[in-house]
Amino acid sequence: MKILIADDEALSRRLLEKTLERAGYEVIAVENGRAAVRQLCQTDGPRLALLDWVMPELDGPGVCREVRHQQIDSYVYMVWLTSKESKEDIVAGLESGADDYLTKPFNVEELKARLRTGERILLLEGRLVEAREMMRYKATHDALTSIWNRGVIMDLLGRELMRSQREAGCTIVLLGDVDHFKAVNDTHGHLVGDEVLQEIARRLLLSIRSYDFVGRYGGEEFLLVLNNCKPQFAESRAEDIRKIVSSRPIQTLAGPLNITMSFGLLLSDAWGVRPVEELLHEVDAALYAAKAAGRNCVRVAKPPAEPELTALAVREPVPRAR
Amino acid sequence: MTNQPSNGSAIDFPELLSRVDNDRELLVDLLSIFKADFPRHVRELKDVIAACDHKKITVVGHTLKGMLANLAVTRAAAAAARIEQLGRDNSGKSEIAEALRTFEHEVQGLLPEMEAYMAEVQR
Repeated sequence: MKILIADDEALSRRLLEKTLERAGYEVIAVENGRAAVRQLCQTDGPRLALLDWVMPELDGPGVCREVRHQQIDSYVYMVWLTSKESKEDIVAGLESGADDYLTKPFNVEELKARLRTGERILLLEGRLVEAREMMRYKATHDALTSIWNRGVIMDLLGRELMRSQREAGCTIVLLGDVDHFKAVNDTHGHLVGDEVLQEIARRLLLSIRSYDFVGRYGGEEFLLVLNNCKPQFAESRAEDIRKIVSSRPIQTLAGPLNITMSFGLLLSDAWGVRPVEELLHEVDAALYAAKAAGRNCVRVAKPPAEPELTALAVREPVPRAR
Repeated sequence: MTNQPSNGSAIDFPELLSRVDNDRELLVDLLSIFKADFPRHVRELKDVIAACDHKKITVVGHTLKGMLANLAVTRAAAAAARIEQLGRDNSGKSEIAEALRTFEHEVQGLLPEMEAYMAEVQR
């Protein structure tokens, strides 16, 4: 485990360095407080630190305060090792954000025992962070396909629509539905249906840029949010995505299955400022128009205020035909 | 106070060896660092005392206290601690000068003693 020693006094630094190396630590030694903060705030920096109080540039309490203030991802367990030994100093040292306090000259066994306490706390913190991250992942991702879940993709859509309005840009909203998915389930069973959904999610993810979003909107419905798009390329991008999904059969437990998707497409710049729900209603209507048009195609939701484009506009949802 | 150095060795050698876990190479390292740094810190201490700079007296006294304590030079470390405290308390010049004399008395002969010990350790 990495440990930082911050002490401006060379003799003390050398003694600690050797003592801790012998105890199995990977030691990083610095001689002033500013260098200590730099080390501790690195992503891969030490999570255990032994700090002297009196140091040039930034003293020990200053190091503690800065490290706590910066709220780096992992907790840093900081121990004072100083020849300040009054009760007032101990209280002030701990209140500056340190976790423990030892006075010089140190007893090697006591030092090692205190550091082991720090390691236990860091281990516990690591487990808690891991559990929190797992819960956060589960709360934001779809359990079957591992892409964003409905709640998150809706939030992302709202955020991207606001951003494109603010920046006078265009966001493409694509709502896709797997064609004849009920037949897949009925014929081959739900496990095969799950395999199909997983592979479709993977193909959709591969078809978008790293800063676009894809989420599971419903059972076999997927919502894609493509940022900062040029409107003239919107339909061709939607076509590309559709083709990527249907380009080759999906390998399943029941053998290879030819699967296609239908898509509704909406360009935010054509709709002005509208509530997210209204835009979703429109793109949903476009999706059903694609279904009605024979499936495995893309249909565009166009605002009714543009009479010259009404031929393509979708005003009313067509009856659901999957 | 007495004008003679305190009785016995200034350094608690058994304690020092135990601190370095009987690592003679490390001990030589530490004594070399001490030999190089200690005179410089003592000079600095005298300068800041002459300048009546209480803040710096506190800092240099603190540094010397730490160095000496690490090497188990107990009485001298206590004398440095006294200077540190007087600096922190903004004490009078004569009181600090007296503490400096005590400190000098305690460290008198320290370097030759260390050199002799280093020679013995390296044999």
